[in-house]
Amino acid sequence: MQVVATNIVRYLFGGAARSWARNISSTAPALGSMTLLLLLSGLVGLAAFALSNLERTEASQASLLHVYLTDNSNPDEITALQSRLAHDARVASVTYVSKAQALQRAQSIPGVPQLAGASDANPFPASLDVQMKSIDDVAAVDALVRNDIAVDPTYPTSYDKGAYQRIQTVILGLGVAGFVFLALLGFVAVTVTVNSIRAAIHSRRDEIRIMQLVGAPRWMVRGPFVVEGAITGALAGVAAGIVTFGLVMLGIRVGSASFAQFAPGITITVGALGAALVFAAGLGLGSGSSLLGLRRHMES
Amino acid sequence: MRPIVEFLRVTRAYGSRLALEEVSLALWPGELTFVVGPSGAGKTTLLKLINREIRPTSGQVWVDGVPAHTLKASRVAILRRKVGVVFQDYKLLPALSAMENVAFALQVGDLRVSDEEASDRARDALEAVGLGDRGDAFPHQLSGGQQQRVAVARAVIAQPRLLIADEPTGNLDMETAWETMKLFEDIAAWGITVLIATHNVEIVTRLQRRVLTFVEGRLVRDQPAGQIGRMAWLASS
Repeated sequence: MQVVATNIVRYLFGGAARSWARNISSTAPALGSMTLLLLLSGLVGLAAFALSNLERTEASQASLLHVYLTDNSNPDEITALQSRLAHDARVASVTYVSKAQALQRAQSIPGVPQLAGASDANPFPASLDVQMKSIDDVAAVDALVRNDIAVDPTYPTSYDKGAYQRIQTVILGLGVAGFVFLALLGFVAVTVTVNSIRAAIHSRRDEIRIMQLVGAPRWMVRGPFVVEGAITGALAGVAAGIVTFGLVMLGIRVGSASFAQFAPGITITVGALGAALVFAAGLGLGSGSSLLGLRRHMES
Repeated sequence: MRPIVEFLRVTRAYGSRLALEEVSLALWPGELTFVVGPSGAGKTTLLKLINREIRPTSGQVWVDGVPAHTLKASRVAILRRKVGVVFQDYKLLPALSAMENVAFALQVGDLRVSDEEASDRARDALEAVGLGDRGDAFPHQLSGGQQQRVAVARAVIAQPRLLIADEPTGNLDMETAWETMKLFEDIAAWGITVLIATHNVEIVTRLQRRVLTFVEGRLVRDQPAGQIGRMAWLASS
């Protein structure tokens, strides 16, 4: 068993590593295009994740109607309005947010604590956060409550249905463009890798012929080329993964320094997970392309 | 006794051209047989069919009980372990020494063979072909005849039932060619069936072994050992 394992390691992995090093000039274009593809895939994937978070947040925000209460309103008036909204069939929930809670919430937004600290009084009004069942009913309920006695007549309500729709349009456009771009780049990367495997097969044709003629198992003749492709894919994956993770870290650091949110939901953990997925995709792409090259260019 | 190789009405076509047509023959254990004929007669096609590099268009090819005519690509290795192959241009790996070339063939064909066993058997095989002292030499350090001997050692190290050789003396001078032929006779004497495709009239006539003559894809004559006469066709080929 140990002898078999030693021979497999030597001929499958050792042979692949030697061949990869020997054919580095023909492998370099495949390595470059694969790295570029993986890097862009990683960034597009993270952008898609951030946009999906943004969409979710916006969908929730757009169907959330903030009803701002006047500082002069008394508890009975607020309770009456809250009860009326809670019994409305179109409303999912109603939450009272006090001035103190509004201040606390605002302080979690980058840059706002400094602005809030500039004033002695709490500038944020109490509100009723009305979560609607459907985004389409927000306008009607807004019209219903804005003249209530408990509501601030100057700045009665806020919601952002238009922004949500714009984001949906942008996300759809970006998704289609990203898919087409990655599909094209993927085609190029696979084609270049298949050609590099073809070159590797050509440079080892005598060795392959001898292995085939002495009765080497099919997997042993083909295996080193799959491993060779996997090595290319893994190296491309490592390079692209490191750059992806580095860009995420940079974005988070820059965002934190400028009080701006880098990208919704993108954390260090998400960045690391993205880099790991890029590496795994590299392995798959490299070995898959090699298999394709073998099917096309190696005789049995 | 079962034949090592049996062709039953085998035809092989390349497009509209028939490389072999309705060929039936049998090769027996320990038999040394020559395949002769002008260029394009079908000699190489015959060897390729035996080694399942190609499949017949029709008919059956049996090699030591294995049906090569129906064998799937994934099962070809089983057949090829029964067949040793020698080429005109030796096909040694230039980066490996003589002993490594021989041991490589043994190990990739059977992963259960350890390095020590492969080295021992490669050394024995090289000694058997008269190159026991050149095991560490690389192909470019060996003469053509010596390289062909290494190729023969590589072909027989896994103890095949059959050895096929395509013009094995084509690149050798007459003296070296005779030495190589003597080696093939020794191998046949060990019980291995040997099939040699050649253009060399002198060797074929002097050795007086069985001769299969092909012309335009057809087996036109099957002469048993000891009954080899003049071969007029070779003069014009």
